[in-house]
Amino acid sequence: MVDWQYSESIESPDIVSIKKKYSNYIGGKFVEPKSKKYINTISPSTEELLSKVPLSNEQDINSAVKSAKVGLEVWSKLTPNQRSRYLFKIARLIQERSREFAVLESLDGGKPIKESRDFDLPQVAANFFYFAGWADKLDLSWATKSLKPYGVVGQIIPWNFPLLMLAWKIAPALATGNTVVLKPAETTPLTALLFAEICEQAGLPPGVVNIITGDGSTGSLIVNHKDINKIAFTGSTQVGKLIQKSLAGRDVGLTLELGGKAANIVYEDAAIDQAVEGVVNGIFFNQGHVCCAGSRLLLQESIHDQFVKKLEKRMQSLRVGNPLDKNTDIGAINSKEQLDKITSLVNEGVEDGGELFQTQCELPGNGFWFRPSLFTNVQPSYSIAREEIFGPVLTTLTFRTPEEAVEIANNTEYGLSAGVWTEKGSKILWTADRLDAGVVWANTFNKFDPSSPFGGYKESGFGREGGRHGLLSYLKASS
Amino acid sequence: MIDIKKTYKNYVDGKYVRSESGKTYTKELKNEFYELPLTSRKDIRDTVTSSKSGFNKWNGLTPYTRMQILYRLSEMIEGNKESYIELLISHGMSKQKANKDIELAIENIIWFAGLADKWEQLAGNLNPVSEEYFNISHQNPIGVVFSLSNSRVSLNELLLSLLPPVTIGCSVISYSEESSVLALKFAEDINNSDFPAGSLNILTGKFENILDDVSKHVEINLVALHKEIEKDGLKRIQENASSSVKRVVSLPSISGLSSILPYLETKTVWHPKGT
Repeated sequence: MVDWQYSESIESPDIVSIKKKYSNYIGGKFVEPKSKKYINTISPSTEELLSKVPLSNEQDINSAVKSAKVGLEVWSKLTPNQRSRYLFKIARLIQERSREFAVLESLDGGKPIKESRDFDLPQVAANFFYFAGWADKLDLSWATKSLKPYGVVGQIIPWNFPLLMLAWKIAPALATGNTVVLKPAETTPLTALLFAEICEQAGLPPGVVNIITGDGSTGSLIVNHKDINKIAFTGSTQVGKLIQKSLAGRDVGLTLELGGKAANIVYEDAAIDQAVEGVVNGIFFNQGHVCCAGSRLLLQESIHDQFVKKLEKRMQSLRVGNPLDKNTDIGAINSKEQLDKITSLVNEGVEDGGELFQTQCELPGNGFWFRPSLFTNVQPSYSIAREEIFGPVLTTLTFRTPEEAVEIANNTEYGLSAGVWTEKGSKILWTADRLDAGVVWANTFNKFDPSSPFGGYKESGFGREGGRHGLLSYLKASS
Repeated sequence: MIDIKKTYKNYVDGKYVRSESGKTYTKELKNEFYELPLTSRKDIRDTVTSSKSGFNKWNGLTPYTRMQILYRLSEMIEGNKESYIELLISHGMSKQKANKDIELAIENIIWFAGLADKWEQLAGNLNPVSEEYFNISHQNPIGVVFSLSNSRVSLNELLLSLLPPVTIGCSVISYSEESSVLALKFAEDINNSDFPAGSLNILTGKFENILDDVSKHVEINLVALHKEIEKDGLKRIQENASSSVKRVVSLPSISGLSSILPYLETKTVWHPKGT
């Protein structure tokens, strides 16, 4: 008899050396924070302390913005082709140190190594490659009379795809001739600080990229800094609204990539097994910490029972555990705070009357974990069907006609993404046309590419990242 | 014999209506006094309701039809050229300038009419993703646009404040303070050009009265300000707008491709390729 006992396959963390303490990266140098204060960053899968990073204060932001202004003088005088070369060089360096970054990302953020290694890092490099090529072709990008960079851009990014969000922000900003002050999320600062080393290795002129760490207060200081010309933010709709409000009356550009509650519509004529895979990927990718996650499953009534049965079976095979285990499908929840939020929304869903299915699996003793969860018997008014949970929790609703599916899908203040599953081409196009969503995945879900614009309708924000359209987020077009 | 004087009303949902408040404000032109609707909060709400259905109707037409309706508008203005010139002169414009203004207005309608079935080709594209997927970015009009026209009395400028969003399929609530008589006269030509009810609404009044109602209304998707607003007012509009992530554009571009960009939402659709 073959012994089918599970044996783990752990990626060695030795490839990365984590310092005990980090500094901000300002003006091409690593400088200790003037605040003299630090925050801890832990591994969410073990709760062990990984390192300390600066809790930057107003003086730190001042020097970062000042340095970005100095950087702008140099950066704007380079030829577009020279700017392009720097971005190509950064892309290559990322490829070369890719595994190191992937391991660090999984340690600091809790995502499975399978994803950081095979998704995040290849996408990070691809973004720098893609925008490198735009840097010297901006005049060909849009048929408008003039396109000008904003100048100094403040960028605030979330913890779900730490380095990828950095790439989404920094690559287009630099390609369009801006310089940046970037703040990584409080819980996942380490890969951004490692990226600072790449900037050094690439010989990027001082001040073009500045990276400062801290918490929400640091972010607010960036938003309110008088010399910032544009803010790019990815995060919750709640914080996005606060930022929009803070910028009222000021001549500062703004793009927002905010929350979502995507409908993933499965019609009865879909290829069911493929759809099950797609729905699983749609919600359980990156522990569901994805703003465009397909968190509302809309099933046509006739296939509900069959689909749910298959889905539950497939969910049961998801492996939850150590992010560095190459077999892990679902890693750790990013923080205690996020785990509490997921738990409380799920409890609310049960109290409301939703029927909860959770997979049976052993969870590690330490760290933050949540079982893959599926709600059925849900009313559209339940908070689990309306609010962004940002965790591995899928909510199911049913519909009878395509018109009803579209109505339910659009009945939300969000409009980031949506999914459609059917084998009928005309129905895909009909549905896609009617969905208020910036990205529509048809017979697929959670696909990304640097050339493909991403961003939301309605309260999911404004502006696009990626593609030719992404350039407009960092350029002022005039007539 | 006394002359017959025209009564001006708001143009909402394809109908000429007085403000439900019954309030008016007076405008004197050539020794005649005109009582113009002083748009109220309730009027704004009613107009938004109409604009929402107007948006569905207007955007539901083919670009080819929208192009012809816009062209029809130029035909209407051409036919009423003399009366526009007369009205502009009564606002103090020289005859030569008035002539020029109408000529430019017609020229611009022709330009935008011809754009109605082309902008998607200029603003959208296939994306060369590095896997076996068909991936296309195309655009949807953002929806209901509130447009505050500028203070200069000019048909050309009034048109340029509403043509960019209208051309791509948005419905527009055009609001005029200083050019109110001109705007309400223009409503007659809209009415004769086959625009679906609610797609293009013309209101007049004092913007300050409805500033909060407009910027807080969650069903207005975008506020375009074609007039310099004093700093505090602009701040209030933008603060109100943030509660629903509403888009606010101040002094947007009114020519070329950049004129339509603020009113577009880019939608990207993916589909696998395979056998």
